Amino acid sequence: MIKIDKLSRYFGEIKAVDEISFCIQDKEIVGFLGPNGAGKTTTLRMIVGYLQPSSGNIEIDGESIFTDPLKASRQIGYLPEQNPLYDEMTVVELLAYFAALRKLKRDYFRERLNFVVKNCGLKDVLYQRIGTLSKGYRQRTGLAQAILHDPRILILDEPTSGLDPNQIIEIRELIRELGKEKMVLLSSHIMQEVQALCDRVVIINKGKIIVDDNIENLPNYLKRSTMLILEVQGENVDFSDFLKEYPFVELDILSRNETTCKVCVYETSGRLISSSITNNESDKNSIDETSEFDLRQELSRFIRDRGWLILEFSTSKMSLESIFHELTIENYYEPEIEEKLSAEQEVMEEEQIKPAETEDNREEQ
Amino acid sequence: MKTVFTIAKKEYELALHSISTYIVYILFLVIIGIIFSNMVFKIARAELRFLFEVIHIVFLFYIPAITMGSIAKERQTGTLELLSTLPIKLSSIVWGKILSAVFQIITIIILSLVFFGIIVIFGEGIDYGAIICGYIGLILAGLAYASIGVFASSFPSNQILAFVLALLISTVFYLLKFLLPLLPFGLVPIVQYFSFDYHLSSFLKGVIDTRDILFFLAVTVIFALLAQFNLQSKNLMQEK
Repeated sequence: MIKIDKLSRYFGEIKAVDEISFCIQDKEIVGFLGPNGAGKTTTLRMIVGYLQPSSGNIEIDGESIFTDPLKASRQIGYLPEQNPLYDEMTVVELLAYFAALRKLKRDYFRERLNFVVKNCGLKDVLYQRIGTLSKGYRQRTGLAQAILHDPRILILDEPTSGLDPNQIIEIRELIRELGKEKMVLLSSHIMQEVQALCDRVVIINKGKIIVDDNIENLPNYLKRSTMLILEVQGENVDFSDFLKEYPFVELDILSRNETTCKVCVYETSGRLISSSITNNESDKNSIDETSEFDLRQELSRFIRDRGWLILEFSTSKMSLESIFHELTIENYYEPEIEEKLSAEQEVMEEEQIKPAETEDNREEQ
Repeated sequence: MKTVFTIAKKEYELALHSISTYIVYILFLVIIGIIFSNMVFKIARAELRFLFEVIHIVFLFYIPAITMGSIAKERQTGTLELLSTLPIKLSSIVWGKILSAVFQIITIIILSLVFFGIIVIFGEGIDYGAIICGYIGLILAGLAYASIGVFASSFPSNQILAFVLALLISTVFYLLKFLLPLLPFGLVPIVQYFSFDYHLSSFLKGVIDTRDILFFLAVTVIFALLAQFNLQSKNLMQEK
């Protein structure tokens, strides 16, 4: 088990990672999600020992990695973000080099080499120089390097970036297979990947963890996760009466022409982003059973009473993507901006009071 | 220790795979050859002392050139991240890089044995002791320069700056001897002690003095530790 305890990291004044704590259990694949610059890579780098945390602790099986860093790094396989490799070496040379640096026994290395070559599909490029490899093969070589010594812990920073769909499926299959006996922490900004692979997801934004839960529980973080997409045909289609009747319902018009109108309807308790609707055609039949007030019934009654025709009527559950979007954009940025604005106002006020002093300070700086 | 050799071996093999290495070797032999053929007839003595001094000057440029990428390039391509997350000590990385540079220096010195051969074949009354001591001195000085080069390369900057910095530090150590006549009398022995040329010259005379060996080894260790410190202070784990 890896336990990350109040881990922080500053880069000068900037707080890249802010007191995050989470655990990775044995045989668990944890997805580490966040927008760019959220602190994902910084956190992973601290876990693998490339970066020294400003404060906090990381424990592997109850033992801090800082008491014996070499022992910790023996247990970890790491695939860095840009997958840096020695371009001048051939694949087999690289693997042999890393095996030598990790002090693997010769026979054991042969055995592991066979394993990684078979599982990462490197047979054809084994004697090819890494600089000449396609991005897919390069990524596989990086992964092969990470699992060469059969580590208990795998830290993968965006493992499937730059791969074609078939390769992505293969690599995911491999990660899933590895996750049966190892702890895997993979960072990604591809939602489907996390959805397809991980048991648990940790969402981080601006250096703080905002969600740490099982994948299935994620929709619960939003008060309402269902919306209706509706296309109706009729004269003077107008939903304003319906909205008057149910003030907690909101409606976005997606497209409209003379006779038809496509709208997205949802309850305001869950703020939803209409852009995610069109992306999410696959979940058309999903129905939110827990809803007490059934928006569908009320809507279809309303439409029937007016004699319009229904061309499309579908329920759409929020994808992980839109949950992510909502959690990281909607809920977090706003207070941040407000804080900044108020801070700026304060500064301005102070400057007005003591203009002479601030000028002195500037000179000193 | 094994790790140091693994890293040094890989670096050395990669250097031998590179065409630029051979271009430098040929250039080196041509330059040394021209100077050798000019000098050997002028002084008409079977000795290599002047040649060693020329090789020393060549080292001022050659060693920063082979060490400039040692850590800077790894940092640039990101492989340093990979390397420093392996279960190896940071000091092994630094010493591996220094050792690989020493391998290359030894290779170039072996190439220069051509001129030694010419002296042996055509010369008379050769002082073998002085020549062997000279080679030992050159390798030790090369070791110290390699350590300076790796240190310069350990800064988070590009390879060109690493080259310039290494050249600068090496040249200061080299040029100290020209500074001596300008200095007040009391300072001369102190400054002289830091001059590479001063320590190398006793080797070239055929004298192996422990103090000279210790001087070069001390410079090597100090710059290796500084390089290691540079790697550590760039946010890596302190204990490694």
